[in-house]
Amino acid sequence: MTLRGRSARLALLLALGACTEEVLAPGTCPNYCPGATIETADTILTDVIARDSAFSGYLQAYQGEAIPVAEVPGVDSRAIFEINAMLTRVANHLPDTTTVPITVDSARLQLNIVRRDTNATNLWIKLYRLPLGLDSTTTFAALTPWFADSIVDSVNLSALLALPEITDSATGDTIRTDSAGHVLQVAADSSLILFFDFDTAQARFLVPESGKVAYGVRVAGDSLASIALGSMESPGRDARVVWFFSYPDTLGVPRDSTAQRFSAFDSFVFTPATPGLDSNLAVGGVPTARSLLRVTIPEFLRDSANVVRATLMLVPTGPVPGAPGDSFQVVARPVLTDLGAKSPLFVTSAFSGSATVHLNSTAPVEMELTNLVRAWASDTSATTTLVLGQVPEAAAYTQIRFYSSRAPAFRPALRVTYVRRFAFGTP
Amino acid sequence: MMRASFAGLTLLALVAAPALRAQDSQFGIQGLGTPGRWESVRARATGGAFGPFDPFSPLLDASVADLRRVSAGVTGGTSWRSVDLAGASGDASLRGSRFPALVIGGPVTGRIVLAGGFSTYLDKSFGVVLRDTIDLRGSPVPVTDEITSDGAVTDLRLALAARLHDRVAVGVAVHGLTGSTRVQAARRFDDTTYYKNSTARDDIAYGGLGGSASALLDLTTDLRLGAWVRSDNRLRADIRGRTVATNDLPFSFGGGLRWRAGSEAVVAAALAWRYWAGAGPNAYDTFTWSIGTELGSLTSPFRFGVRGGQMPFGPGGKAPTEFAIATGVGKQFSGGRGRLDFGLERLERKGGGLKERVWTVLLGLTVRP
Repeated sequence: MTLRGRSARLALLLALGACTEEVLAPGTCPNYCPGATIETADTILTDVIARDSAFSGYLQAYQGEAIPVAEVPGVDSRAIFEINAMLTRVANHLPDTTTVPITVDSARLQLNIVRRDTNATNLWIKLYRLPLGLDSTTTFAALTPWFADSIVDSVNLSALLALPEITDSATGDTIRTDSAGHVLQVAADSSLILFFDFDTAQARFLVPESGKVAYGVRVAGDSLASIALGSMESPGRDARVVWFFSYPDTLGVPRDSTAQRFSAFDSFVFTPATPGLDSNLAVGGVPTARSLLRVTIPEFLRDSANVVRATLMLVPTGPVPGAPGDSFQVVARPVLTDLGAKSPLFVTSAFSGSATVHLNSTAPVEMELTNLVRAWASDTSATTTLVLGQVPEAAAYTQIRFYSSRAPAFRPALRVTYVRRFAFGTP
Repeated sequence: MMRASFAGLTLLALVAAPALRAQDSQFGIQGLGTPGRWESVRARATGGAFGPFDPFSPLLDASVADLRRVSAGVTGGTSWRSVDLAGASGDASLRGSRFPALVIGGPVTGRIVLAGGFSTYLDKSFGVVLRDTIDLRGSPVPVTDEITSDGAVTDLRLALAARLHDRVAVGVAVHGLTGSTRVQAARRFDDTTYYKNSTARDDIAYGGLGGSASALLDLTTDLRLGAWVRSDNRLRADIRGRTVATNDLPFSFGGGLRWRAGSEAVVAAALAWRYWAGAGPNAYDTFTWSIGTELGSLTSPFRFGVRGGQMPFGPGGKAPTEFAIATGVGKQFSGGRGRLDFGLERLERKGGGLKERVWTVLLGLTVRP
């Protein structure tokens, strides 16, 4: 190879090598570090949250994703639901429109238990017949007599869970069943599917009422008697009834058939009722309450600091009554624009913060809002208002109240950890 | 055609090198930076000894009086540097590429030559990674800090040289110091659940002025003496139009002697003093020396040289020292209208518990259209 050829190759190697750089080296301070250092500070901003208020009435009990059922000290909550009308006659010779009456033999009621305390012992689920016409105005007091003397069936869930599993070799399904015919299935998500088998008397199919039925559910137990049932707002998990009936064919021979009916209405009633709003910040309960907090971002966070952690600190006014060991979530979401109680919420979860509130606890509640505060600090046009709400809403009787800015010693605060502006330009 | 491809490829190699980005030394981190080398590849391959006599080394303005026609020279190089730092968690191997000098000039009249160009005055590229554990909200939080600076202060030179006599040439130049660095300070938290990383960025603009004067005297036909003096005023650092720092720049002077020992042997030596001590804390006045030779024909000479001296910035109350050995070759092409120079330098710096070793591959192109 000629000198020129070798030179050309060397030049090419240099060009390729020059395209990459490696300039980072471990530093030994202070001798071989820049004069300025990265400094992190932490402060609690006690006066940046003001003009905070609570508003109520966002969701009613029948709009919740779950129906809480509990009987614990201080709270008694009961599920109520009404099943859609059933057909009372069927056409037995299509396309002839002549119909014949059906004869109901039995029924099977399905409840979906979406939440329970696994430490509960001797947990009974009791089913009551309720009058038709349940709606959002139905009160705990109005149904008290029905819950006293109209029991249809009951099952000891703890005992049922303790029974051995029976496996269907054909389908692979496993169930547990007791001598009374109750059947329990454990779903893939660990929720429970509970079946009550009703005989003709328990099913009580009444033609004048178009086969509509209404039931109420209570729980009892040695402790921790608290569950939640699926509702119409959680698709596929509402209560439903399968009716088993027969009808005569054209020759008068009885033909067996089934029909499934789903919930037309479900809700829950509880006592004591949620108290009215006061000067504190209420979150959750039924009707659902939310609290609006308006935040002023200090100038130093905008122009001379970089927020690395921000935590909203809230002090409850007292413990939330309920089953020991139970909890619920409170979430803080920013608003798109501040319209008070009707402020539209920001849907991006990256800017939301949440905290788990344990019942019967007075511990301060803290929510990480780093992304939100960083966004607020960098955007001076952003609406710096957030809304506290329960998740999911109207699915629990529990309501927590926090001290507002009107209680100086316990007012909401923002704890901010930030990196100070680096002193660039100095050796 | 082959020659054109050769020159084009070489030019590509030089242009492809990221301009003015390198970390020349850890010693410059706490100072104003690492001073650039005002030398062409030819001069660098002789340890810098030929710098005062080389018109394509932006050191001694009078030397451009030797340009008989419009000419240009450009220098580029890539360095591989290892840092051995006592107390650090480990050594570091670094790589950087530079495009440190360009000189273009030509005669205005029979005796007056005008030249211009740029060179690196202070290299301010560095990157430091630090591991630490800080106390936040009552808990120890491990963090990694990364502080980087990318850029340099460039010396824009406009030089005028005149040959007053067959044996005497003088030169003067004005120097505009300009440039910028992109700086970044990032803190990364090991705990990414609760803490978000912080990154601050800024651009620092630099400005300053300087002037230089020099002379070349041919004592005999084979012996040439050169001397130069330079004064730079203050380096101003601005961030978004606001001055954040002002530092004194040095008064410098130096000289050299070149002896043509025969038709194919030249020996040179150079000295320089620079008064950096006023530039801030941990700054020192420096003295540097070099000696080198160029052997062989003008069309393909072999070069060798050594240099040593002090560096202007470093901790410990004492100026760090450096010593380098360099070698290289040159090759003329296109009937002397172009010259390609290769250089290889091995450099070692010591001071304040730090030892740096640097290999630098240099490539220079000179054209006389």
